[in-house]
Amino acid sequence: MFEGENRVGMTPESAKQLQKLGYDCMIEAGAGANAGFSDALYKEAGVEVVKTAAALWKSADIVAKVRQPETAELKRLREGQTLISFFTPAANEAGMDAAKKKGTNVIAMEMVPRISRAQKMDALSSMANIAGYRAVIEAGNNFPRFFTGQITAAGKVPPAKVLVVGAGVAGLAAIGTSTSLGAITYAFDVRPEVAEQVESMGAEFVFLDFEEEQADGAATGGYAAVSSPEFAAAQLAKFREIAPDMDIVITTALIPNREAPELWTKDMVESMKPGSVIVDLAAEKGGNCKLTVMDEKIVTDNGVTIIGYTDFPSRMAAQASTLYATNIRHMMTDLTPEKDGQINHNMEDDVIRGATVAFDKEITFPPPPPKVQAIAAKPKEVIPEPTPEEKRAAETAAFKAQTKQQVTLLAVGSVLLLGVGLVAPANFMQHFIVFVLSVFVGFQVIWGVAHSLHTPLMAVTNAISSIIILGALMQIGSGSFLVILLAAASVFMTGINIFGGFLVTRRMLAMFQKS
Amino acid sequence: MEFGFTTAAYVVSAVLFILSLGGLSGQESAKRAVWYGIVGMALAVAATLVGPGSGYWLLSILMIIGGGAIGYQLATKVQMTQMPELVAAMHSLVGLAAVFVGLIAHIELSRVLAMDDAGKKALEGFAALLAKKDGVEIGILRVELFLGIFIGAITFTGSVIAYGKLAGKVDSAATKLPGGHLLNAGAAILSAICLIWYCNTGGFFPLLLMTLAALFIGYHLIMGIGGADMPVVVSMLNSYSGWAAAAIGFSLGNDLLIVVGALVGSSGAILSYIMCKAMNRSFVSVILGGFGGPAGEQMAVEGEQVAIDTDGVAAALNEADSVILIPGYGMAVAQAQAAVAEMVIKLRAKGKNVRFAIHPVAGRLPGHMNVLLAEAKVPYDIVMEMDEINEDFPETDVAIVIGSNDIVNPAAQDDPNSPIAGMPVLECWKAKQVFVSKRGQGTGYSGIENPLFYKENTRMYYGDAKESLNKLLPLID
Repeated sequence: MFEGENRVGMTPESAKQLQKLGYDCMIEAGAGANAGFSDALYKEAGVEVVKTAAALWKSADIVAKVRQPETAELKRLREGQTLISFFTPAANEAGMDAAKKKGTNVIAMEMVPRISRAQKMDALSSMANIAGYRAVIEAGNNFPRFFTGQITAAGKVPPAKVLVVGAGVAGLAAIGTSTSLGAITYAFDVRPEVAEQVESMGAEFVFLDFEEEQADGAATGGYAAVSSPEFAAAQLAKFREIAPDMDIVITTALIPNREAPELWTKDMVESMKPGSVIVDLAAEKGGNCKLTVMDEKIVTDNGVTIIGYTDFPSRMAAQASTLYATNIRHMMTDLTPEKDGQINHNMEDDVIRGATVAFDKEITFPPPPPKVQAIAAKPKEVIPEPTPEEKRAAETAAFKAQTKQQVTLLAVGSVLLLGVGLVAPANFMQHFIVFVLSVFVGFQVIWGVAHSLHTPLMAVTNAISSIIILGALMQIGSGSFLVILLAAASVFMTGINIFGGFLVTRRMLAMFQKS
Repeated sequence: MEFGFTTAAYVVSAVLFILSLGGLSGQESAKRAVWYGIVGMALAVAATLVGPGSGYWLLSILMIIGGGAIGYQLATKVQMTQMPELVAAMHSLVGLAAVFVGLIAHIELSRVLAMDDAGKKALEGFAALLAKKDGVEIGILRVELFLGIFIGAITFTGSVIAYGKLAGKVDSAATKLPGGHLLNAGAAILSAICLIWYCNTGGFFPLLLMTLAALFIGYHLIMGIGGADMPVVVSMLNSYSGWAAAAIGFSLGNDLLIVVGALVGSSGAILSYIMCKAMNRSFVSVILGGFGGPAGEQMAVEGEQVAIDTDGVAAALNEADSVILIPGYGMAVAQAQAAVAEMVIKLRAKGKNVRFAIHPVAGRLPGHMNVLLAEAKVPYDIVMEMDEINEDFPETDVAIVIGSNDIVNPAAQDDPNSPIAGMPVLECWKAKQVFVSKRGQGTGYSGIENPLFYKENTRMYYGDAKESLNKLLPLID
């Protein structure tokens, strides 16, 4: 096993796991040094350290690499060997031809389909995560002010404003890092369904006033698609509007197998404050800002720093290697269902099939669409936000309906009352009014009772409905023995009720405790 | 002084009673609210004892003390799982008291009417009050006390039967005498005839006949309603006991009785309405008993019920971050609330998000589950209502159904032909994993197959809820 740059495709930790799968591990001498893994550490983990890359290519059955193999390496491929690496198959005809000719099976890590099951081997995501984090750190390194707002004895410091364009994995990582440093973070993406994710990371989603059926992110495998010219124009207009306010801009907008779209134009850069920083994570594909120079940091005439590095993951080699090695190990686990050290290249498996670009002397790129549909959220039924006029109209209508209902009820009630009043004597009406009012008060009050307190409510109404005791008390002193007997029995029964009802209510309520 | 003082005291009592009901809007204010109710009651009784119309106050006080002693015993001894029975039993007492008070009013009225003017002048107390009434007023009085006795009698036998069913002394299945609702209707018509008869003659016989008819209605009506509809029945009886008090208040000309009767009556009516809504059934259909026949072929349930053992449940709980428990009547029957609470404490100690989801008609009494959980010292802020928690199921790792069935039946949403179609249910099947603690494979009260038990992410954890949980407890670490 082997690697290319600062990063390395196997760590001592992952080597131990691979050995459990039944493999013997080898590594080129010094391969992990830049990532902080010395040869000694590898030896300790039971890895055989091979002097040269050539020897390694010759003896290893499976080769794991980080970068796309170079011409010299392509020559070393041999039949039956499996190569796991980044491969950029769409732009690497030569590499694929070589693999086809030599009969090497090639698994391209960037082709791992974006389905939930494959997330553990999605190296693009783990690298993008690092790139997003590092982008903010690089920006901070070149930004002459604090991220977080502070009020100090020496005056007030406003918080930095960060705009993240493209809320993919890198964008979300950048948002998370930026908010946790205390900056006010804004984010934009052409897929409105990610607004929720953006907001969950603590940033504010920049919405466009633009109505168009967006391409369903799920249909394109969870990646962004090309947007229409009208949409692009609306997007640029929005950016132009907010550009002067932004201190740091991080652009991560990439469309698979295309040049990066231009999102941050020259005039926007010119409108930014001196000292502002732009980090263009799309620099490798031409950059979202046309002023970006790949792999370099430049400062424009008006003092805006533009960072076009493309090797962010490599700049954090230890972390990147750990994650990448884990991705590789998960891929190996899937390739070795029996855990017997024998590779089982199952082309029926969606994930393995998707990632394989050359197999058995055939080029198997591009893969068929995965059987399992992608991760992105299903398009929600977008309910058009009602305009203020519509809202007001709806409110007025509801209010009118309510008024109508209430007025009808009141009218009917009043007529009924009047009808009763016509025939009933005044004495009765007095009591009747009290009754109607009490029912009304009862309805008003009881609606407010908490659901959880319905049992206590019943117990307490039980106790107070024993107010009927008053009737018995009033009658007890009047008349015959039979009356006294009945009245006394009533008093007795209601007595049970009053005490029982109130006490049991108190007992219940005392049990309700807050945590 | 006397009359004015009594009236003033009644006003204060009425206000206190309203505050006491209003205070039940929150757990903390409720504790204060009970005191309002107690003070209100004490004031009303004291004011009546010194007010006009009463006598034999020594006897009255003795009776109150005697009743109070029994009430105290009941209140302190009763188990929280028996609350529905207690409430039903208390309703029956209110109903019976209403019947008695109505009868007394009738006896006194006949006695007073039989007297000449000189005799009337010599009267005291309640009889003196009656003596002042003229022809129309007496007519109204008769209607009022007739209604009071009628409602009181229904409440009495209805509550006794409800008590019997809840306590397991009467078979809780819906049973009807041959003739069904016709019998009820006949008894009601008979009562109506008696009313006219009574108003015209003022004799005792129609009153007696009506009382018997009403007693029969109460008995037969509640016999025809099954166990799971008890929340509606109990709140309905609660409402009736209020209306009975109000009717008696009219006949006695006592405003406080009217106010309180109306408050209780409307409270019970609202509770019944909430319960019916939670079952998506009309009040009438509940009262007329039983579930209507299915509107068509019910969806066949596919799949099979997969059982799981204690270790499996424990492992899933140990791994879960969020857990929702859905208790039902089965938990109350098995007395499992303490075991449930203990498990919750253990899970929460590990930092898991544990909550309860309570369906409005879970149990046999409105709010039954809340009281049981409170008794077991489950903090009320993790006990959620259906509407509060239903949206959270998709993000929940484990949902545990403990002794509930119809309230978690997905057929209510999926199968338009199901008898419970349209009833709001707890969507626990959306959780990643569902465990159902259940005695056996039978269907619930309504006899409806529950597709939840056959879902792929559902595992059946058979056995008595309490025993199962006690076995589970030591395995959670």
